Amino acid sequence: MTEQTGFAVRGPEDDSPLVGGSSGDLRVQNVSKVFAGARSNVVALRDVNLEVTRGSFVSLLGPSGCGKSTLLRILGGLDTPSQGTVSTGGVSVANGVAFLFQDYAIFPWLSVIDNVAFGLRMQGVKKAERLDRSREWLRKVGLVDFDDAFPEQLSGGMRQRISLARAFVTEPEVLLMDEPMGAVDAQTRLVLQEDLARLWEATRKTVVLVTHSIEEAILLGDRVVVMSSRPGRVKLDINVDLPRPRTQAATTTEPFAALKATLWEALRDDVAKSLEFS
Amino acid sequence: MSDTTTEIRPVTEELPKGDTLVADTVVSLRRRERRRRQRDILLSTGTPLVLLVLWQIAASANWIDAKLFPAPTTIARAAGSLISAGTLQSDLGATVARLLVGYSIGVVSGVAVGLVLGLSRPLRAAFSPLFNGLYAVPSIALLPLLLVIFGIGETAKVLTVVAVTFFVFEINLTAAVRNFDPRLLEAGRAYGARRGALFRHVLLPGTMPAIFTSLRVSIALGLVVTTATEFVAANNGLGYLVWNSWQLFETNDMYVGLVTIALVGVVLTAIVAGLEWLALPWMRARRG
Repeated sequence: MTEQTGFAVRGPEDDSPLVGGSSGDLRVQNVSKVFAGARSNVVALRDVNLEVTRGSFVSLLGPSGCGKSTLLRILGGLDTPSQGTVSTGGVSVANGVAFLFQDYAIFPWLSVIDNVAFGLRMQGVKKAERLDRSREWLRKVGLVDFDDAFPEQLSGGMRQRISLARAFVTEPEVLLMDEPMGAVDAQTRLVLQEDLARLWEATRKTVVLVTHSIEEAILLGDRVVVMSSRPGRVKLDINVDLPRPRTQAATTTEPFAALKATLWEALRDDVAKSLEFS
Repeated sequence: MSDTTTEIRPVTEELPKGDTLVADTVVSLRRRERRRRQRDILLSTGTPLVLLVLWQIAASANWIDAKLFPAPTTIARAAGSLISAGTLQSDLGATVARLLVGYSIGVVSGVAVGLVLGLSRPLRAAFSPLFNGLYAVPSIALLPLLLVIFGIGETAKVLTVVAVTFFVFEINLTAAVRNFDPRLLEAGRAYGARRGALFRHVLLPGTMPAIFTSLRVSIALGLVVTTATEFVAANNGLGYLVWNSWQLFETNDMYVGLVTIALVGVVLTAIVAGLEWLALPWMRARRG
């Protein structure tokens, strides 16, 4: 399979890391998470193992309710595992992890530029410097003319760009993205994906991207990790050896289609199962 | 690839020189909006003026009993003589002082307690049911008890205003904290805001709309309560002026008192609305 399609497939039983664990790698070991509910308890994650090499882009793919967002929140320290350990190589949200949320989670009471500067402000960066750096990132995402506007005056795609700028401006070691394109329309989504690919190729941060779009997972990721639905566990872990820089044009190539078919194969049963559950 | 710029190209189209399509449309839209605003102002000031004139005519022509409904000019004359005697100013001052002292204490304590109860589950469990029960008692009904405890001085009246203001804030702010958008708190935490910073930079600005709503609601309630306490337990203030005029059957003076109370309400509400406009520019943006 490796020979024919040009990508490597690793099963969940193979828990040896791709590359030797240098500092700055993200490591998830035997992580389980149980949510106690009023009517029933949910095992969101069971014995999840995942290694993300520093500077690589990993896409987490899975049906809704497979616990991929939970895993991301645990990675970022916004939630704690019920069992198991997580190591982020010495970085935490206080110094070096930035989040991108599906619904942007932009502060409505702050102007666009103050939203972008929020993380820097929490880090104690001086006002002049944080405004300079934020303005620079607003320029990169094409919103520099809107620095004084309030988020609710802008479209969904523009708000997600604020959120992109807010994440990148802190120059984080690790970027955790929870379906960042989930709430924008399909065409804006294509543009934002290209923006994101370009920004990442220029900065090479460690990124974990949670998505339910197979195309997005392949287009952006160095690796795609597929999770099964409840309880969430790693089902498939494959490398994406498509050349960079990548644009939407990559989606029409042969290897892309082959990857897509493999991933869909891995996902199909679980998607059907998750539908039955709900 | 080392090029980090990712300018997103503007989508606005350059119009050819001499094309006045946009300019003309903008001008006509602005003109229409201005006309509508002028009409709004005309209607909102004109309607009461017309009613006032009708009232004046009806009273002068004896269509209505001028003893019960004295003509506006008669009321104005009564106001003039109360002002020259200096009593209207001192009544106004007394009412506003009671209201603002009680209001300020109520706002500060209500905000503090509301936020704390919103944040602390044990304190909420201890005090929320108690406060909800007390809230059901109309504040004005506490006045006799407060009079027994504190005597007929200012304390009992001011505390009644404190009570009504406090409960509005306590209930609204506890709810605002409890219903706070968890995604925004999470975003705050994700960008490094801990405890104090999370409170100052996320929770507090996010509850500002609830604070201003409470300010608006409670200033009006506070004026009601102040007036009511002055009916029965004061020998000055606008409430006293109205009540005393009733007892002496001085209808003209009673109207002076009522109009002044109304004006106090309008002015104070406008001040709060103005502060909100200044303090929450993002809510302005939301309303469009």
